[in-house]
Amino acid sequence: MDKKTLLVAEHIDKRFGSTHAVNDVSLNIAAGEVRALIGENGSGKSTFCQMLCGIYTIGGGKFTLDGQELHIKNQVEANDAGISIIVQEMGTLSGLTVAENIYLGHEDPFVHMGVKDTRAMNREAQKLLDDYGFGRIKAGAMIDRYNFEDRKLVEIVKATYMKPKILVIDETTTALSQNGRLELYKIMDAVRADGRSVIFISHDLGEVLTHSNTVSILRDGEYIDTVNAADVTEDDLKRLMVGREIGSAYYRTDYGTPVSGEVVLSVKGVSVPGEITDVSFDLHRGEILGFGGLSECGMHEVGKAIFGASWDRTGSVTLADGTAVNDIPTAIKHSIAYTSKDRDNESIIINESIRNNVVLPSIDDLANHGLLSGRKLTRFAKEHADQMQTKMQGVSQFVSDLSGGNKQKVVLARWLGKGSDILVLDSPTRGIDVKVKQAIYALMADMQKQGRSIIMISEEIPELLGMADRILVMKDGRINGEFLRDPALSEEDLIAKMV
Amino acid sequence: MEKNNRDNQQSRLRAFLDGDTFKALLPLIGFVVIIVVLNIMTNGRILTPKKLRLLLSSIYAPTIVATGVFFVMTLGSIDFTEGSTLGVASLVVSALSFTSIPLAILGGILCGAAIGAINGFFHVKFKLQSFIVTICTMYLFRGVCAYFTTETAVPASAAIKALDINGLKIGITVAVLLVAWFLFRFTRIGNDVKAVGSGETAARFSGVHTDRVKFLAFVCAGALTGLAAFVNVIKVGSITATAGNQLETQILISLVLGGLPITGGAKVRFSNIVVGTLMYAVLNSGLAILGYDPQTQQLIKGVIFLIFVALTIDRKALKVIK
Repeated sequence: MDKKTLLVAEHIDKRFGSTHAVNDVSLNIAAGEVRALIGENGSGKSTFCQMLCGIYTIGGGKFTLDGQELHIKNQVEANDAGISIIVQEMGTLSGLTVAENIYLGHEDPFVHMGVKDTRAMNREAQKLLDDYGFGRIKAGAMIDRYNFEDRKLVEIVKATYMKPKILVIDETTTALSQNGRLELYKIMDAVRADGRSVIFISHDLGEVLTHSNTVSILRDGEYIDTVNAADVTEDDLKRLMVGREIGSAYYRTDYGTPVSGEVVLSVKGVSVPGEITDVSFDLHRGEILGFGGLSECGMHEVGKAIFGASWDRTGSVTLADGTAVNDIPTAIKHSIAYTSKDRDNESIIINESIRNNVVLPSIDDLANHGLLSGRKLTRFAKEHADQMQTKMQGVSQFVSDLSGGNKQKVVLARWLGKGSDILVLDSPTRGIDVKVKQAIYALMADMQKQGRSIIMISEEIPELLGMADRILVMKDGRINGEFLRDPALSEEDLIAKMV
Repeated sequence: MEKNNRDNQQSRLRAFLDGDTFKALLPLIGFVVIIVVLNIMTNGRILTPKKLRLLLSSIYAPTIVATGVFFVMTLGSIDFTEGSTLGVASLVVSALSFTSIPLAILGGILCGAAIGAINGFFHVKFKLQSFIVTICTMYLFRGVCAYFTTETAVPASAAIKALDINGLKIGITVAVLLVAWFLFRFTRIGNDVKAVGSGETAARFSGVHTDRVKFLAFVCAGALTGLAAFVNVIKVGSITATAGNQLETQILISLVLGGLPITGGAKVRFSNIVVGTLMYAVLNSGLAILGYDPQTQQLIKGVIFLIFVALTIDRKALKVIK
């Protein structure tokens, strides 16, 4: 494609606290192109666009539109620069009229000597609405009179009447009926025909393929690839979104090893409102049980529910000896360990030393009649941090100084020290380099040999295929499929149950 | 070239000011600086034996109170009720002092603990931020205190006034410090409060009973303020509506002067209590000797407090006070 490049994004970056929402994303968008932006929830596509539109400040890198670097501080400035957005949520303001919403931030042409000429504004707005074919919406009426879909149409008018160079459509179609969608597609086609560009965010891959020229994929904040819509299928896109790990030499190689029939943990009818519904399964001694699914399928909540960390869980989690696990201290006391996907907030205390992190769950075991000895704590922490080969200056070093992989080693060191028999590992290798991954897989295999049981929740399918004896696939908060360890099992088999 | 050099120096100074070593030493540096400066300004008048005795007699109650608040602030929370708690508990102590002295002590402690329990309950159960809760209860109990003291000051018994012996007050203060230090250093209590202060969610996921820890910290702060009320009554003999007025800010300033990071967490040190209360007392008596009127004293204290917070705060751990 030899088209003129309209928008250049270079090394765009954004962090929210410890979450790296957008990680060094660079891409070009040509004039007269509809570029779809896809990725799972939390992949950074909305954040990326909201930086472009001045809703968030740019964390790093720069946008260049038509050869000019953008320095946008808010949405009005973005509009003036030729960028507008139709957002996912309600983007109109209650308590204002339709016309006032359309011209929000751009009232100047209707203001004379500080007085707003409402009649002129309504007249112009009505003209726009009629031109768009939305004549049934009255410019002078309060926006609250209209339903969600009509309000979205008003937003479309608001975002496009000034003929922006870049129109961002952020998951708007989900709110629209078929008719509304057709209106939107028409507008997209018009923008494209006019030599301007659209950034189109959507979860509906069918729609993405039929209405865009090119598709860029983001995953966990990182740019993955850009493909021509004409060259790919929905399955290709799904695979790119969910992610594939290349090379699998470090996984388990055994197949057909029998798993003990002894149940160590029994989960029955567990539900958490809005997260998971009626999840039941048994975990066996020495078993690695994998949980797979898309980010929002509820599998992460399953881990928390087992650990007693969900506030409003129903159903039962019972150990072999009949102990019910309903809160975290009980879980820890009865040999359940948990590592969270949200490592920096839930697994580890960032602003605390390695020593105090490692000893925390074991502190009662280390106390002698309630008394703690500093030397004993240090020795304990050092022993287990060393066992995990944590790279550190010493156990008094703060965890905040460590890399992601080393933080995870500290997390695992604490549960090694506690000697837990049931480990619930949520995304144990997330954001971790290959070497540490290898160490973690080796540790898991070791623990399995010792007869410990592991629940591994993972968004990485190859990891599940490579490590688990059994895989439960979740979708929309329910268990949607069960697979036994088998060399013939493929990613496609699992993906089919996920989406 | 010269500019470059200066930039370099500036960035090194910046790094030093942000460094942990400097922050750990700052209270001691500040303490020495304040003593030296005040000593020069007053021509040595703050270091006379008489002034020192006076200074000591003014720090017993604040030290006891600060010890309790230390636990609350280590959690990253804040407690504004000390002043009014001291007032109300002093009333209880005075009333009971006519019956029995041990009963008066117990009554003061229980009264303080009850107020702490109310704070802790609303903070934990309703998930309200501690400064909102304690500002509300501060006004509430200030009102209670005023209600009983509007007509006349409430007197305490002669028996309790007879206990105004330095040895007793020193004994109580030292005992409180020792017990608290022991609990903080050698039991899981210290680990638990620091863990909650550094990262509450992660602490909960590590098996810390976070709600219980928070509740107990407020009860402890209240109970120790109740004990301080006893020491206060010994000293003043009768309770007026202004009993304990502005004690809460005094404690807050003391602990921050002592180097306690306002965000709490792993970097708190037990020595913050002692260094802080001493520093506040020296500053207070120095300013009085210099003859500043109370308004000017407040202004100077405010400025010093601001400078200290800005220098000691841990920007990496910055978050809203719970």
